[in-house]
Amino acid sequence: MTLPALTTSRTPRRIPRAGVWAATLFIAVVAVLAVAPGLVTHGSPNDADALAALQPPGGVHLLGTDANGRDVFTRVVFGARPSLLAGLGATALAVAVGSVLGLLAALGGRLLDEVTMRFVDVLLSLPGLLLALLVITVVGRGTFNAILAIAAYTLPSYARLVRAQTLLIRRSGYVEAATSLGLTPGRIVLRHILPNAFAPLLVVATIEVGTALVAAASLSFLGLGPQPPAPEWGAMLSQGREYFSVAWWMAVFPGLAITLTVLSVTVAGRHLQRRVEGRLT
Amino acid sequence: MHQRTLAGLIVPVVALLALTACGGTPAARKDPGGAPTRGGKLTFAVNTEPTCLDPHQSAQDVTGLFTRPALDSLVSLDTEGKVHPWLATSWTVSPDQKSYTFTLRQGVKFSDGTPFDAAAVKANLDHIVSPATKSQLAAGFITPYTGTDVVDQYTAKVNFSKPHSPFLAALATAYFGIESPQSLKQPQDALCQKVVGSGPFVIDAWTPKQGITFHRNPGYNWAPENAKHQGEAHLDNLEMKVIAENAVRLGALTSGQVDAIASVPPISVNQAKADPKLTIETRQAPGGNYNYYPNTSSGVFTDKRVRQAFRDGIDFATIVNKLYFGTYQPASSPVSPSTAGYDKGTETQWKYDPAEAARLLDEAGWTARDSEGYRTKDGKRLTVRWPFFKAVVRENRDTLTEQVQAEAKKLGIDVAVTNPASIGEFVTTYIKGDYDLVDFSWQRADGDALRNLFAIDSIASATVFGQNAARYSDKEVDGWLNDALATTDLAKRAEFYAKVQHKVTEEAVVFPVYIFNYVLGASKKVHDIGWEPQAYPTFYDASVIQG
Amino acid sequence: MTARTSVAGRIAVRLATSLLVLWGAVTVAFVALHLTPGDVVDVLIGNSTVTPEVRAAIISDYGLDQPLLVQYVTYLGRVLRGDLGRSYQLHQPVAEAIGSQIGASIQLTLSAFAMAVVVAVTVSVLTAKRSRWIRGLFSGIELVGVSIPTFWGGILLLTFFSFTLGLFPVTGGLVLPAVALAIPVSAILTQVLREGLELTLDEPFILTARSRGMADLAVRVRHALRHALLPTVTLAGWFVGVLFGGAVIVEEIFSREGIGRLTLTAVTSKDLPVVMGVVLVSATLYVVVNIMIDLFYLAIDPRLRGAR
Repeated sequence: MTLPALTTSRTPRRIPRAGVWAATLFIAVVAVLAVAPGLVTHGSPNDADALAALQPPGGVHLLGTDANGRDVFTRVVFGARPSLLAGLGATALAVAVGSVLGLLAALGGRLLDEVTMRFVDVLLSLPGLLLALLVITVVGRGTFNAILAIAAYTLPSYARLVRAQTLLIRRSGYVEAATSLGLTPGRIVLRHILPNAFAPLLVVATIEVGTALVAAASLSFLGLGPQPPAPEWGAMLSQGREYFSVAWWMAVFPGLAITLTVLSVTVAGRHLQRRVEGRLT
Repeated sequence: MHQRTLAGLIVPVVALLALTACGGTPAARKDPGGAPTRGGKLTFAVNTEPTCLDPHQSAQDVTGLFTRPALDSLVSLDTEGKVHPWLATSWTVSPDQKSYTFTLRQGVKFSDGTPFDAAAVKANLDHIVSPATKSQLAAGFITPYTGTDVVDQYTAKVNFSKPHSPFLAALATAYFGIESPQSLKQPQDALCQKVVGSGPFVIDAWTPKQGITFHRNPGYNWAPENAKHQGEAHLDNLEMKVIAENAVRLGALTSGQVDAIASVPPISVNQAKADPKLTIETRQAPGGNYNYYPNTSSGVFTDKRVRQAFRDGIDFATIVNKLYFGTYQPASSPVSPSTAGYDKGTETQWKYDPAEAARLLDEAGWTARDSEGYRTKDGKRLTVRWPFFKAVVRENRDTLTEQVQAEAKKLGIDVAVTNPASIGEFVTTYIKGDYDLVDFSWQRADGDALRNLFAIDSIASATVFGQNAARYSDKEVDGWLNDALATTDLAKRAEFYAKVQHKVTEEAVVFPVYIFNYVLGASKKVHDIGWEPQAYPTFYDASVIQG
Repeated sequence: MTARTSVAGRIAVRLATSLLVLWGAVTVAFVALHLTPGDVVDVLIGNSTVTPEVRAAIISDYGLDQPLLVQYVTYLGRVLRGDLGRSYQLHQPVAEAIGSQIGASIQLTLSAFAMAVVVAVTVSVLTAKRSRWIRGLFSGIELVGVSIPTFWGGILLLTFFSFTLGLFPVTGGLVLPAVALAIPVSAILTQVLREGLELTLDEPFILTARSRGMADLAVRVRHALRHALLPTVTLAGWFVGVLFGGAVIVEEIFSREGIGRLTLTAVTSKDLPVVMGVVLVSATLYVVVNIMIDLFYLAIDPRLRGAR
C-alpha cells in the first residue's frame, strides 16, 4: 500500500522509544539473515522430502514443513534476501530515476519542467499495482522485472520531492551564488543540491521501502515475481493458502515475516521523519 | 485435414495443457427411495471456465462440461464403453468400415425452433472440420472424414477415407454436440459466447469469471437410451459458478452456498468425507495419465539409460501418495486403468530402484560431479530443461514439480524448470522440440489416445501439431497403432494397445506420474448427478431435495 | 476578477490538466504496446489464433502498415471513440469485457471505502486528544493496519470468519472482501482525520462552542469534524489507486468476479489490449474523482472561490 508519505506531511506523532528500538533491532536481524542465512539454519531451503511433508511446528522443524517437506523456518530465513532485495532494489531504482526526473524538471527550464511533471502526474493517476501489471505484461515476469514494475509506480513521489527541494534551494539564491563563483552545473547538483535533498529523500525512501516490500510480495503472491522453488515470502504464502485448512503454518509464518518487516520499516521511517523534520524546522 | 498452419498450432497446446478431467468408475448415486424431486435449482461450482463456449472449436474439458446440458449427441457411450442411441436411433457400418449410416430420431427440435434432421448432422460435422472453425480437438478425432451425404431427411451417411474405428466413441463426446444449424451460421466468435442445441437445458447467459445459467428445456423428450429417465429434466434451473480458489470452493460447499463442486482439493478430501452433509464421488479419468515425456530426439534423454534412470531413480509412487493423500493413484502405464485396452502388465514392468538408476547414469558416462553435486560428463552438467507453464497449472502440479526437482537432485540430475512468459512462447519451444521434458495429461475414453501420444505423425513440427511430446518414432509402434485403427474388434484392439504400452515402457519414453480422478463433492440433498464417459458430471438426471 | 470567473477559470484549468493526464495515459499505453517484444500484430492477438483476414483487418484498423506517428494518431482516435481494441483471449471487445466486470469492482471498492470512512470517523472522533494510553493503542493498531499486506489479511479473514466460524458466506458475500480492502484505507484515513481533529480542537471557535456549554461529543462531531474532513478529501485520488490495486488481490483471494481478476488473467495470458484498457479506464476514473473533489471543495468552502 503506497503510504501517502507526502500528503500527510505533518510531523508524525512520537513513537515510543521501545517501539523504535524493537523495530530497528528487527530490521537489523532481517538484514543479517538476508546476508548470511546460514547463521541460524542448516541445510538448503529447497531440501524436499515427501515423507516429511506438512509436519506441524515443533521439534526438528521449528516452524513445521511445507507440502514438499521443506523446512518452513529455513525457507522463511532464506526468504529474507529476495524479499529485501526486491524492496530495496525497487526503491533504489525509483530514487535514482525519480531524482533525475526531479532535477530535470527543476533545472531544465519551463518546458522540460512541464513535460516531466505531467509525465509524473500520469504515473500517479494510474493505480500502482495496475501500473506494475502493465509493466510486467510488457517485459514479462521474473525477479528483475518485478523490481522494474515496482520502481515504475513508486518513482513519482521521489521526482516530486527532489523537484520541490531543488526549487527551494535554487530560490534561496544559493545556486546563483555558486554559479557566479564559476562552479559547473554538474558540481552544483552533486555538491549542493543533492546533499540538501538527501535527508528528506531518505525519510520518504525509508517509508516507501515498506510499500515496495509489500508490492514485491504482492507480485510474487500473484505468481509474477521470483519463480519457484526460490524461497520468497509472497510466493510461499501463495502456496500456503492452498493448504491453509490443514497446515496453517505454511501461510502464517511468511505472512508474519512480511508484516513485521514492513511494520518495522514504517516505524523506523516515521521516527526518522520526525527527527529530520524536527531538525529542519 | 491433418496439415495445420503454424498459427493453428497454438491452441492445440492450450488444449494439451488444459485438457484433463475425464474418467469413470461406475457407482451411480442411489436414491434414498421414491421418485426424484421435480423443480428447484442446482448450483455447481467449478474451478475453471472456458475461453470459448463452442465445443467444436474448444478443446477444454470445461467447455464440454458447460455445454453438455444444452447439447445432445448422435450417440451416447456408457461407462462400459457400449454405444447407445441418442439423436440417432440406429446406425450401420459399411463392410469396408469406411462409412457410417445413421437413422435419425424424428420430432427433435433445437431450442431456437429449428428442426433436427440429416442436414443438421452434415452442417455440424462440416462445421467441425472447416478450417475456419480452427477446431482444437473435435476435428482431430475424425481426421479421415471426407463428408456427409444427406440420404433423406432422417438418414445421414458419414464417409471416411479409411477405416476409423474410434469414430462412434468420439461422436458421443460433447465435442461432437449437435448445434442448431441456424446458430452455426454465425461467426466463430459469436459461437464462443453462446451455443444453441437441443439438450435438456437451454443456456440463459454465460458471464465470464462468474458462470453460466440454464433453464429446463420444456418438451425435451429425446434423452439417450441409457439415461436414468426420459422426458424433461428434473431441475428447473442449473447454474455453474466459477470459483477458482480451491479453499473457497470447498468452503462454499460446506457452508451450503452451492450444492456441488468440481475438483475437491486432494488435501481436503478426507475432511470432506467426514462431513455428514456431504458425499464425495470419485471418477477415474480414461486416456493418457498425467505423465512426463522425455525428449527422445535430442538432448540428454536420447540415451535410454538416462531416461530409465530418471524414471526408476525417483520414487514417483511415494511422492504421488504423499502429495495427493491417496486421491490420485501412482501411474504405471501411459494410459489409465479405465482406458479400453489398458495393459495391466505395465504395473510390474518397472519399479523404483535408485541403485540401478545410479548405475545406469554411471554407465552412460555421467560419472563426474560438479561443485553443486550434479553429475557431469565431459565437463557438461546433466541438466534437464523443462518448460512448465504455470498459468494453467492444476492439481498442485507445481508442488509436484518442485518435489521431483528436489528428488532428481539427489540422483545428481539438475532439473531446470522454466516458466514460459506466455502460452505462445511455450508452443514455440514445444514445436521446435527445444526441451528435455514436458508434462501433461491427455484424457480420452478410448485406447486411441496412445496414437496421439506415440505415433510418428503426432510429433509436433512447424506444419503438423501433435501430442507425441517424447518425439518418439518407432515403426513397430506405428504399425500396431494403425492395425488397431482398422479393426472394430475390441479384444483385438486391446492386444495391439497392450503391445504399444509394453514397448514404450520398455524403452522408457514416458514417465507415468499419476492417474487423474475427477473428485466431485455434493450435498446429500443432491441426487443422481450422472457421468460423461470422459469423467465429468452431467445434470440431466439430477435432482435436489428442497428445504 | 470576480468570484464567478475565477471559479470557471479554475474548473477550466482543472479540466485541461485532466485531459493532459488522460492523453498521457493513452500515450503510455501506446508506448507499452510498441515496447513489448514481438510484432505489434502478434502482441494484439496474443495467444489466440485468427484468420489471415482478421489479421489484415487488425493491421488496417490500427494502421500498423503506416508510419509510427500515423499509428499513434489512429490509436488516439480509436480510444477517443471508446474503442479499446479487442481481446482475442476472451473473444470480445475490451470495452465489453471491462463493462461486464466493472460493476462488481465498483461495488466492492465503494463498500470498502464507505466502511473505511465509518471506521475512521468513529475512531478518530472518539480518540482525538484523549489520554496518551488510548491514542498510543490506536496508533499502534493503525500502524499494523497499514503494514499488513492485503493478501495476508484477506486470507486470515477468510480462514477465520468463513471457514472456522462460518459467520460470512465464502463467496458472493461482500462483507469480508470489503473489510480486507478497507483495512489499510481505514488506517490511513484515521491517522489523517485525527491529526486534523486535534489541530481543529485547538482552534478558538471550538473554545467558544464549548464555553456555550455544548457537550464534548457534539463539539467534536458538529464543529471539529467538518473542518478536519477537508484535508482528507485531497487523499481521494490516492484512495482510488489503493482500492483498485487492492481489488486485484482481494478478488483473487475471494474468487470474486471483477476488473482485478480480469486484469490478472490478461496479464498471465499476455492479453495486452485488456491490460491497456483497464489502465485507461482507471486513469479516467482517477481524473473524474479528482474533478469531483475540486467541485466539492468549491461547494463546501466558499473562501476558495476567490483564492485564485
